[in-house]
Amino acid sequence: MLQFKLVLLGDSSVGKSSIVYRFVKDSFDEFRESTIGAAFLSQTITLEENNQVIKFEIWDTAGQERYKSLAPMYYRNANAALVVYDVTAPDSLMKAKSWIEELKKKVGNEELVICLVGNKVDICEEDDTKRKIEFEEAKDWANDENLLFYEVSAKTGYNVKEVFQKIGEQLYEYKKAEQANKGTQDNSNITSNIRLQEPQASNPTSCC
Amino acid sequence: MREGDMQGYVEPSAIRMKVSKSFDDDSSLSKNNSNVTSGDFDSGVGMNTRKNQVASQNITMNNPIYSMKAKFGIRSPSVPNFQDSLYSGNNNSTPILNNSRRFDPGINKNESNNMDTRKYWKENADVDSAKETPIDNNKTHDDPAMSVIDLYNDDDGYSRNNRSSMGHQLEDYHLESDDEEDEDSENNHESSEMLAAVSNAEFLPKSITLNRKELNTEHCDRYGFKKKNNYVSEETYNAWWEDYSGYCIRRKHKWLLLLQKSGLPVHNDIPVRFPPHSEKLKRYVRKGIPAEWRGNAWWYFARGQEKLNKNKDVYSNLLLKMGNLEDETQKGKIQDLDVIERDLNRTFPDNIHFQKEAFSTKEPVMIKSLRRVLVAFSLYNTKIGYCQSMNFLAGLLLLFMDEEKTFWMLVIITSRYLPGVHNVNLEGVNIDQGVLLLCIREYLPELWTEIESSYNGYTKNTPNNSANSKNLFLLKLPPITLCTASWFMSCFIGVLPIETTLRIWDCMFYEDSHFLFKASLAIFKICEPDLLKGKPSHRSFSQYSLTNTKQHRSNACQDDYDMQMFQVIQTFPKTIIDPNDIFEKVIFKRRLQLNRLDQNEIDKCRKYVAVQRQKHKNYDDIIGKLGNTSPFDEKSDEQNLHGGKFIDNSINILGKDLKMTSEMVNEALSSEVYDFKRGFSGVNWNNSIKERVKHMRKKK
Repeated sequence: MLQFKLVLLGDSSVGKSSIVYRFVKDSFDEFRESTIGAAFLSQTITLEENNQVIKFEIWDTAGQERYKSLAPMYYRNANAALVVYDVTAPDSLMKAKSWIEELKKKVGNEELVICLVGNKVDICEEDDTKRKIEFEEAKDWANDENLLFYEVSAKTGYNVKEVFQKIGEQLYEYKKAEQANKGTQDNSNITSNIRLQEPQASNPTSCC
Repeated sequence: MREGDMQGYVEPSAIRMKVSKSFDDDSSLSKNNSNVTSGDFDSGVGMNTRKNQVASQNITMNNPIYSMKAKFGIRSPSVPNFQDSLYSGNNNSTPILNNSRRFDPGINKNESNNMDTRKYWKENADVDSAKETPIDNNKTHDDPAMSVIDLYNDDDGYSRNNRSSMGHQLEDYHLESDDEEDEDSENNHESSEMLAAVSNAEFLPKSITLNRKELNTEHCDRYGFKKKNNYVSEETYNAWWEDYSGYCIRRKHKWLLLLQKSGLPVHNDIPVRFPPHSEKLKRYVRKGIPAEWRGNAWWYFARGQEKLNKNKDVYSNLLLKMGNLEDETQKGKIQDLDVIERDLNRTFPDNIHFQKEAFSTKEPVMIKSLRRVLVAFSLYNTKIGYCQSMNFLAGLLLLFMDEEKTFWMLVIITSRYLPGVHNVNLEGVNIDQGVLLLCIREYLPELWTEIESSYNGYTKNTPNNSANSKNLFLLKLPPITLCTASWFMSCFIGVLPIETTLRIWDCMFYEDSHFLFKASLAIFKICEPDLLKGKPSHRSFSQYSLTNTKQHRSNACQDDYDMQMFQVIQTFPKTIIDPNDIFEKVIFKRRLQLNRLDQNEIDKCRKYVAVQRQKHKNYDDIIGKLGNTSPFDEKSDEQNLHGGKFIDNSINILGKDLKMTSEMVNEALSSEVYDFKRGFSGVNWNNSIKERVKHMRKKK
């Protein structure tokens, strides 16, 4: 089994917790209590191609701007980040972009898998005028930035599993490459779950 | 709904209603009535709840014995009825209330609360009676049988218990007569009272049983929260409540006697003054303030009135200001408003008082009040503005007191009990987490060993050039604090089950903020066995010279353990449904070291951590410039806001003497360790660096 740390970031009420709950408990509540600080959850998936089990250690965070000062605690040693925005709220994509910038700057890990996720597409399906951020717009930006990208709905469950599946695959690829580099060619020997991430670039202040 | 929400800021009626939020018996009653009259057909939980409220209200009105019992906390699902009328005079809202009554009886019905219960109830009954359905008439008008149903509805277990095992109950009294000699004599009195109540219960007409079943679909506790959640089943809840409601009754009786002895009046079952601080009162508070008195007791112990008297009209002026925001286009520019708006419906979504009525698009009054309190606060204290978690603090307060008091209590909590915790930079959170870690190290050394080794594993790869000190964990907080930060930010709301949370709030207002740390340690103490269960067998982190594979294995092991630890810390508290688990197993055990923790210690500790953190930041600043390694977080300056008062900024001046300073700081960071109860070295050290700075300046 491989174990990875995944952190959720994004503006408040874009649906971070809802996505996690859909993924972990396959449930949804219209009104979910605001997350204070952070919530910890874990969930395993299996990559079908190679029967590899992957365990996600998920840190769900509070979205309000000021919680950003605690964020380095969350993403320290993270292997993957899910940066969420709300397709019906234009500001939220801006926030997501700034999160991604911060991640790239502060985490300093080439292999950090970042996935940009636009949530609440169910609302647009009902009424397309509600959509404020076009799929292509976000997709293009994500491509430029070399990120994974999905539109999802925590409410209907649309694409939620796929996001984690994709992240899992990507992490596994990195992992395999790393093993190869180390000369341990035999992949069946992966018994450990080393943190993929190297120490963050000497940035002693990133703690808070 | 968004638009409607926004209107809340400005609607004159909204401002008029400022009083409202905490309904008392009357308003809840009227709410019921209005609900019925408006022809809602909801037959679900909400409706039953309301029915119960009506009926239990009725009990209180008509039958002194029932009234007593109902007030003892058996009444189900509690309306936020714990309202006092006494301070209403100071509430600017009174005249406003009158206005709203005159112009908008509907609003009044739902929202006014600061009135004498009985009188108001009657008025409302009159107004509404014409429209009431027969069933409700039945309930609202003296039908003792119905009332009794409601009385026991919430905890039929309790009544069963009473009927069948009086002897057992009496035994309990003796066990519980904990305290002291003088309380023993109270037992007789109490038990005879109980007996009276019980015998009454025994002569209930048979029809009641049926009705009771019908009403028993009740899924909410006395505060309106759902009994069931992911961690506690309704059965578990009911089983616990069966005992605990009896406990509440007994405690309340003792409180009544205590107040009587102290010569303090209890009008309408609502005392407004409490005895002066004493060991005995502390014990009473620790054993729980009667739920319906909490609003007043908290207000009293936190010296809310003092604050309000000094700030008369402030709240109503803020509401006016809020109303004016509408016209100003800057409204949109106030970031907090948006965040507040998004959190309103995410505050206790499981509590009936925060939910929309079925088939109604009208925003619940509770939500409107919450908005006003939070927006007013963000206007009042711009340094804090709005911080997520304050919605829960305010929301809980609103269940126990009116809006204006809620506002001031929020002011008091965020300044006195949790200084800096909600500030923009959240530095107060980090400081309190540092303090908590020091406390764990001091009082729960075994657990500390685990946290520390997990932490060492965690930071082993991080370049420690910044501070090779024993205090590193204060600066770069260990991941466990990701879980515990919310304990402080929301004062355990959502962390512990509600009744347990409220017991801690009782003590917080009486004993001050150190109780939050004590409670945290108590939680750790009782989940310690779970926490230590899965610890990796070998864990010396001096072993990094070992071969790669071994290192990996031990890392894997550590990772698993860490995750398990997070899981326990996050879920275990949610299962502590019985507050007495914390109190009896830990807080009341005098021999436990952690009970030595007092306010003084916490105050010192907070200062110490603040200073340490600031020094670290300054040090990083310097080192950053020195080695050009990493630009210091641009936010740092603004982040100094909070710590500022504790901090000696003189280090900053030292830019030119970088090398020397960094040596100094490094030396100090690694040598200085906080000692509990052994004086406070931080300040002294700080002074010494001041001296050296002066010295260096002179030289130049």
